[in-house]
Amino acid sequence: MPNAILDPTGTVTTSTGTAKPAAPRAPRPASLDGKRVGLLINTKQNARPFLDEVGRLLEDRYGVTLTKRTKVNFAVPEPEDVIKELATDSDVVITGVGDCGSCSAAATADGVVLEAAGVPVAAIITDSFIPTADAMAALRGAPGYKYATTAHPVAVLTEDKVRERAAQVLDDVVALLVEPGKVAEPGKAEA
Amino acid sequence: MTAVNTEGAAAAAPDSSTGPNPGPDPDEAQRAIEYCYERGWSDGLPLVPVSQPLLDAFLATTDKDPDEIIGALEQVGRDVNVRTAAINAAMAGCRPGYFPVVLAAFEALMRERAARGGGFQSTSGPSPLIVVNGPVRKELGFNTAGGAFGPGFRPNATIPRAVGLIVRNAFGIHPHVLEQATQGLPGRWQVCVAENEEESPWEPFAENGGVADGVSAVSVTLTRTMEFVDNRHTPNHEDVLRDIQDTVNRMGSLIFPQTSVALVLCPEHAQMFAAAGLSKADVQNWMIEKCGHTGREFQAAGKGNVPRKPDGTFAADDEFHRILSTPQQVPVIVAGAKNAAISMVVRIFGEWSGTSVPVVEKTVVEKK
Repeated sequence: MPNAILDPTGTVTTSTGTAKPAAPRAPRPASLDGKRVGLLINTKQNARPFLDEVGRLLEDRYGVTLTKRTKVNFAVPEPEDVIKELATDSDVVITGVGDCGSCSAAATADGVVLEAAGVPVAAIITDSFIPTADAMAALRGAPGYKYATTAHPVAVLTEDKVRERAAQVLDDVVALLVEPGKVAEPGKAEA
Repeated sequence: MTAVNTEGAAAAAPDSSTGPNPGPDPDEAQRAIEYCYERGWSDGLPLVPVSQPLLDAFLATTDKDPDEIIGALEQVGRDVNVRTAAINAAMAGCRPGYFPVVLAAFEALMRERAARGGGFQSTSGPSPLIVVNGPVRKELGFNTAGGAFGPGFRPNATIPRAVGLIVRNAFGIHPHVLEQATQGLPGRWQVCVAENEEESPWEPFAENGGVADGVSAVSVTLTRTMEFVDNRHTPNHEDVLRDIQDTVNRMGSLIFPQTSVALVLCPEHAQMFAAAGLSKADVQNWMIEKCGHTGREFQAAGKGNVPRKPDGTFAADDEFHRILSTPQQVPVIVAGAKNAAISMVVRIFGEWSGTSVPVVEKTVVEKK
């Protein structure tokens, strides 16, 4: 009987992968009218003006109130106490802009964790990082988790272009945050 | 641990010139290697297939419990224990005796803030820079002389590879998925330098990390790339320092208000500085004092928002902005052969923890 070749991953794998309990998705409001919107700004270049503009447009359109917060560390998911505060202070959260390897994954991870805390989230990432965002969502027990994308890059855009991008992604962001069915499939609309 | 060094370029080839080949079955070995590829475990190069007896030999080199967790990457929900680390070290081609060094290297790596953060996932694609000090260098047959950055020597080549395989397999960070390096760098997971203590005029590097001279230790930080400074042109040590300073200063690498570089000096440069009365601290202070740019120079590269000052404003046009401020940002290591005046500026990703980790071997119980 020959020796078995040992597995170096430290996980028990099967042909279908390791089973994880599915992460719950937060219930959506029917609309954003008058809602409290938390903006979680990840400090990447142009993330602030991008989310500022998304917030401004939502104020105009739905009369939302905004809370702005800067991510503690763009590269990793937010600590538990920050998640708790966000969940208390906000009806919905928008986070971004994930335009790097760690921060795109972290944006999705924050989304999944906040959803479990009952808060609908729209994470915005650039389209170069779809594989890493999807992989992180699956790791967090939310395979197929939906987010909004905008074309890469964002960091080098002029102020005008940033505002243009924010306006372009707005419908997708709204669609991610409200009861589905009224707007086109989110997370896919960016050309 | 044996003191015999049969590794490296000078190692004799086994005698297989006579008679039928009595060695292991190559067809079986190839099947085992392909099996490892098919499972997605490889970094691209062939792996050593690991059996339980080989794993046991690794685990026998340490007092640590095989179940002890030696590192975790919270953001991906994965961790690694001693057993899994040993399997990866064996797969990488390490000998069992290297395992205490792998464990020390991994502990040192996980002290790096950038490694615990998003370093392994980063678009910058950094590699660990592993520095080995002390008697273990000779005991295990590390290269401490020419060709310090490799290749040709089994411990130098396989120990950093072991670390890379742990990150790939135990943490699950795979290229194009959770690993998003734009270009990475040549030599990722291959950079392991054993300091040339014998020809260094200064204290061993691990002493700068808090481990006493004479104790085997490993120091690790992350690097994005490195660039040589070839200066065998002058007897004036200040000219050489200016030449190194010029390379440290390269604008392309600057993305934050502060940077960090390791100076891996060849023995010739190090001895020239020491002969002029300079300590490591003097070399570091030279760089701290002189490396930087004016606001205008940053602006010319479109990086006017890089030289951010503590008050939140940016360096003015003619204002000189220093890019280094503490010795910890300029680790100085001596490596390579004393055969030419060629040193290396190693660009650090983040900042070295400033601590070195002793190599702890299994306790030997004396028999009476």
